[in-house]
Formats: sequence, C-alpha cells, structure tokens
Amino acid sequence: MHNLLDFLRKYAYFFLFLLLESLSLLLLFRFNHYQGSVAFSAANAAVARVETGYAEALAYLQLQGVNRQLTEENLRLQMQTNRLREALMTATRDTCITQRLMMERLADYELIAARVVQNSQGYRDNYIVIDRGTTDGVQPEMGVVGGGGVVGIVYLTGPHYSLVIPVTNRKSSISCRVRGQNYFGYLQWDGRSMTRATVDDIPRYARVKPGEVVETSGYSAVFPPGIFVGRVRTVSNSADGQSYKLDVVLGTHFANLRDVMVVKTPYKAEIDTLQAQLRRADRPQ
Amino acid sequence: MFHIVLSRILWFITLLALQVFVFNHVHIFGYAVPMPYVYFLAILPAITPHWAYVLLGFVMGLMLDLFTNTPGMAAGSLTFVGLITPWVLKLFRPRDTDDEDFEPSHHTMEWGGFMRFLGTLTLVHCILFFVLECFNFFDPYGLLLNMGGSALLTLLFEVAMELIRKK
Repeated sequence: MHNLLDFLRKYAYFFLFLLLESLSLLLLFRFNHYQGSVAFSAANAAVARVETGYAEALAYLQLQGVNRQLTEENLRLQMQTNRLREALMTATRDTCITQRLMMERLADYELIAARVVQNSQGYRDNYIVIDRGTTDGVQPEMGVVGGGGVVGIVYLTGPHYSLVIPVTNRKSSISCRVRGQNYFGYLQWDGRSMTRATVDDIPRYARVKPGEVVETSGYSAVFPPGIFVGRVRTVSNSADGQSYKLDVVLGTHFANLRDVMVVKTPYKAEIDTLQAQLRRADRPQ
Repeated sequence: MFHIVLSRILWFITLLALQVFVFNHVHIFGYAVPMPYVYFLAILPAITPHWAYVLLGFVMGLMLDLFTNTPGMAAGSLTFVGLITPWVLKLFRPRDTDDEDFEPSHHTMEWGGFMRFLGTLTLVHCILFFVLECFNFFDPYGLLLNMGGSALLTLLFEVAMELIRKK
C-alpha cells in the first residue's frame, strides 16, 4: 500500500499529463470539424474491423449448419437436375412422328401420364408397373400407350400403382388391323423376341405386304382405333393353314420404356353395359 | 522566490499577449509562424515540480487555443512539451550544477547547451502542433516546411527574448 502510494506520488506528473493530454485531444476532436471527422472515421474503421472479425468468427461457428444446408441443397439440386435431364430427353423424343400422329388420334380422350417404375424383360411373361393408380383414375382394362405406340393393358390397380400387361406377355391379346384394310386379328406374343409379335387370323384373301402398318382396330374399346402398333415384317401361313400370320415389328421399345399414358376410354363403360345386358338376355330363364 | 514567481507570471502574460496580438498574424510565405511561448516553459526554474510543468503547459496552451480558436492543438502539444521539458533539461544542463536554484539561461548553461535545450523543445512543439493541425500526411513536404520554418522562426524570437532578459 505504501509502495503504491509512493509510486502514485512519484509519477503523479505522468497521470496529470495523461489527463490533460486526453482533455486536449477531446477538445481537438470535439471542436475541430476536420480532426473530429478524421478521428470519427478512424474509430469507425476500427469498429468495422472488430465487427468484421466478430462476424467471421460467428460465421465459422455456424459452418456446420451451413454445411448441412449446402448438402441438402446439393441433394435437392441433383434431384432437380436428374428430373430436368429426363424431361429434356422426353422433350427431344417428342418430335417422333409416330407419337405426334398418335397424340392427334388421342386428342379427344382423357390421358393419364404415368411413368414406368418396374419393367421386367426377357421373361416368359413380362409385366410393367406404372406409378399411377385408382386415386389418379386408372382402372383395370384401360389401354396404355407410349411414345412408340401401344404398350399394353392395365391388369391390376392399387391406390398409387398399377400393373400393366404389355404386348410382350403371352396373355396379351389386342385387337389389331392392317391400316387401310379392315381385316383384323389379334396381336399375340410368342415369347421369342422383345421387339416382335404376331397377328393371327388374317384372312387369306387379304392383300398384306411387308412394311404395312398394323394399328389398333378399336373393336375392343380398350384402345381407340388407329393407334400405331408396328409394321409387318413377314407374312406366313398360320399353323392350321386357314389364315395368314403376320410377323410384326413392334413400335414400342420395351427395353427402355419410361413414360407412358393411360387412355381413359369414355365409351368403355357403355359398351360393357351393353355386353352385360346381352349376357343377361341370353341367360336361360 | 516571490520575485521569481512574479517574473514568471509576467512572462506568461506577456508571451500570451504577444502571441495573440502579434505573432499569430505573422505568416512568412504562408508557412512559418513564430510560436515563442515555448520559451515560458524553458525558463522555468529547475526546482519546479514535474506536474507543474505539465499543468502550466496545458494552461498556456488552453489560453492560446481560446484566443486563437484552435481548440486542443496548442494545449495538446504544449502539455507534451511540459512533460518532456524536465527530462530534456536534465540531458543538457551542465553536470556540475545540481544546486536547487538552477535556472536555465545562456548564463547558466552556455549558449550551446541552452540553444540545444531550447531548440529541442521548440522543434518538438512545432512538430506536434502541425501534426495536430494538419491531421493528415497528404502533403508531407508542405508539412515539413511548416514545421522547420516555424521552428527556426520561433527559435529566432526566443533568442531575441533571451538577449533582452535581464537575468
């Protein structure tokens, strides 16, 4: 304590100097505009530097959250990119003339766009699962078409997904005709190739040449008439020799099928009702 | 003792009045301004306490600032000069004169020692004053010219005062 007092007494002049000098500088900065503004901006700069350092430290502490956000954002963007890339591929494929003609024919029908989520290939009986179900209005026995033409018929429906029997399934049987001629037969699949199917029961007096177009007949009410199916490759005799068998190259590439549309035929219910009435009328009383 | 105090008070008032009414109106080439009021601190007797140097420097500077409308400039620089004056005096005073009633003058210190003592104080004061006044270094040569010219001119007037001082 004594030493402290001694120290204070000994250096009293210096504390006095500090006090008076601060007073002078206070006067200088307070009453001189130029010096005041210089000191003020210098103080501002110092404060700004401190604030910058503080903000940087804070940002560093928040890096973890930012990182997580960035990862989420990255994931979202990647998914978006994927979606856009697929959309772009579809868009470039849309110019296909088959699809344009088909869309013209289907203009009056209600279409449900769907996506193939599961597609078995190469098995004896192939199935396709699409991501639309009863909640989207898909019902069994609706026709499914793709960019290349007929795909198949809806077999089973769930709330959100549906099972489609494609042309490349031996249970599949779609009523077809040769374009320009009204001879019709049923499109069958013999299980040999994913790109080919056969049309049986073409009468022998029909004039069918390779390269002619096979399209839906519209008789089954599942598909509207005139939807592209494929082209005739060869014409041969059927097994019983009573008719011709057409070997058809399918328009749809089942190996890379992705976007399809379900055709809602407005007349199907009407036709079904008529058929049911017919059956009731035929039933013995 | 009383005589000395009275004489210093007179010097204080005289230097203040001279500075306010005469020297502040002298601007040689717009650079050199005589500021011989530093002389007041230089001729204080050596027994003056250190804090009194500081306080007197501040009071003198404050008075000048009030009259010349330069708040803080003279006060700030002269307070610092008051702080260093005893140290500078210790540096330049002759070794054999450590008696109580030592007074700095050309009689007691010889011309050389006294001039160096006075010159140091004057130069420090001029440097500080112009740094505080300019408060930037955009024109370093002008600033140096200000400092050097003012210091020289101030020293000239101080020598004149030293010559007319009786004792």
